[in-house]
Amino acid sequence: MNLRLNPQTIKKLRRFRQIKRGYFSFLVLALFLVLCLFGELLVNDRAIAVKYEGEMYFPTYGAFHPGTDFGLNYQYEVNYRDLKVLFEQQGGDNWVMMPPVPYSPFENDSASGVFRPEAPNFDARHFLGTDSTSRDILARLFYGTRTALIFSLGFMICVYIIGVAIGCAMGFFGGWFDILCQRLIEIWSNIPFLYMVIIVFSVIPAAYSIPIRIAILLIVMVLFSWTSMTYYMRTETYKEKVRDYVAASRVMGASNSRIIFRHILPNVLATLVTFMPFTIVSAVTAITALDFLGFGLPPPTPSLGELLKQGTANLRTAPWIVTSAFTTLVILLTIVTFIGEAIREAFDPKKYTVYR
Amino acid sequence: MGQTEGNASPLLEVRDLRMHFPVKEGIFLRTGKYNKAVDGVSLHIAPGETLGLVGESGCGKSTLGRCVTRLYNPTGGQILFDGHDITHLKGRELKPLRQDIQMIFQDPMESLNSRHTVGDILSEPFIIHKIGNRKARQKRVLELLEIVGLPARSATRYPFEFSGGQRQRIGIARAIALNPKLIICDEPVSALDVSIQSQIMNLLIDLQKEFNLSYLFIAHDLAVVKHVSDRIAIMYLGKLVEEGPGQTIYEKARHPYTQSLISAIPIPDPRHHLQRQVLVGDVPSPINPPSGCAFHPRCPKVMDECRSNTPRLLPLKEADAEPGQQVSCFLYK
Repeated sequence: MNLRLNPQTIKKLRRFRQIKRGYFSFLVLALFLVLCLFGELLVNDRAIAVKYEGEMYFPTYGAFHPGTDFGLNYQYEVNYRDLKVLFEQQGGDNWVMMPPVPYSPFENDSASGVFRPEAPNFDARHFLGTDSTSRDILARLFYGTRTALIFSLGFMICVYIIGVAIGCAMGFFGGWFDILCQRLIEIWSNIPFLYMVIIVFSVIPAAYSIPIRIAILLIVMVLFSWTSMTYYMRTETYKEKVRDYVAASRVMGASNSRIIFRHILPNVLATLVTFMPFTIVSAVTAITALDFLGFGLPPPTPSLGELLKQGTANLRTAPWIVTSAFTTLVILLTIVTFIGEAIREAFDPKKYTVYR
Repeated sequence: MGQTEGNASPLLEVRDLRMHFPVKEGIFLRTGKYNKAVDGVSLHIAPGETLGLVGESGCGKSTLGRCVTRLYNPTGGQILFDGHDITHLKGRELKPLRQDIQMIFQDPMESLNSRHTVGDILSEPFIIHKIGNRKARQKRVLELLEIVGLPARSATRYPFEFSGGQRQRIGIARAIALNPKLIICDEPVSALDVSIQSQIMNLLIDLQKEFNLSYLFIAHDLAVVKHVSDRIAIMYLGKLVEEGPGQTIYEKARHPYTQSLISAIPIPDPRHHLQRQVLVGDVPSPINPPSGCAFHPRCPKVMDECRSNTPRLLPLKEADAEPGQQVSCFLYK
């Protein structure tokens, strides 16, 4: 194999870069994804670095340090914010470097001791305020967005694998198999997805751990979403399989699997790439809606939908909750949509269309 | 074993081949009628021989070609290749045959996968048949490129970076990669410029001499076919109407359909006034063909007999007839 990219692909990439709106959106999203990778260093209640008695500690990753490690009188995990204040009061060589947002999305931090929403306060480093149980909103937004994006990526990959495999088989083998699958898919896709999620979540025991509950949610969402992918795949495969290059390959003696994987799929997938960002948008929307209704990610997982729910409940007293959650959601969806439009435009064989 | 005909045993023999496509109708997709694309065709090709197959669009000539390569499963009749019946081979049984029968397609842009480099395209036959390692394959690809007159650097380029004629050369290189005995040329030049056509035709003729190839040369243009063919078969609505040595067909066409085709060939002489025999009407639908001789609604010499009885392809019985010429017409009984 040669490493040279197909010149058509290069052309598409170049055109994608020329569409500034989409390209910059892509850069912003890429930057955010990189930040997410190091999220624990940016938004966390654990310090990035601690210097104590001449030794360096990096508590972000790894096991927790009991308070006794740093000369405190308790066995539970160190409160690094308090430690920082303590070291500063003591003077000396000991110091603590906290992340820019020194709160975890799960901890309740209330100065007054009463859990209630507090307005943005830069001195306390609650840049977007706290929610109704005094958790930092920026931390919850950050991790909520990260969870939503990872969830949507996983969702998209699963939907593509199932939809592409079944749609391709339908188109390639055709005949009774195709007709049967089509009818089954039509019946299947008419089952209301939202009710299924509600039913499933009312049945599964609450004792399941959070990752398992998230996985179940993902599976249920994928099970009711892969069908739309098969429509595109099926027709595209029908279109490609009767083309002469497939016949040429057959005349040479190529097997069905070779024809599917070497010839049909690469030609079809190029068009399916354009749907990817829109699949992500719909997944983010769906998961937020489910969270809003309380059937999504199990609490206390931080999520946009859960913040929106709180925000609407406290709209008069704490407008900053709904404002920040809403703004984040709008920016996220807009950015992904811009990317999607730019990809669609870059892949459009008709070059001079209106969008740019 | 196949029957021997004349002095040499034929490489390919097609006997009474039928390819009827079911026409699905109604919401339950019931098969009501059949599209009789090929309806009882017999022909044979000797080693190293070229048979030109000519006919209007939709007369079934491509279908016939695709039946011979076994891209289609024929409804009836027999295909004998090298004496072996290949009509109903399936799956793996077909694989050895794939090396011997290859195909060149009409539109090279369609028949070359635009996502593969020329090198990938040309090495695919070797990969499929597990011939040689990667190095040997690369070497063979370069040889093939040289045979068809393309520079070695073409191997890393993509089909759309070539002109139509060059692309057809790639298609030809792929077809000869496995040293086949028979190549089905499905209108290999009709998508090309006239100036390029002759280059490609000459390449095909050279390759035939070099590798002793047999061609089934499908075209809708008699002038093109005459250039390469030893024998010519004329097809109309799924049946052969006339068959014979190329020169004979060209000079002494007997069937009224062939005569009208010949009269349509332009002659490069401004003073020559064409005595064109223009056919009226269109080719009837093969789903619902006319009774009797399928050509009778358009035939200038139609007789009563033509409407009721179906003529068969028979050798000419006249005294001055050239050997090998066969006609399916009641005018010559």
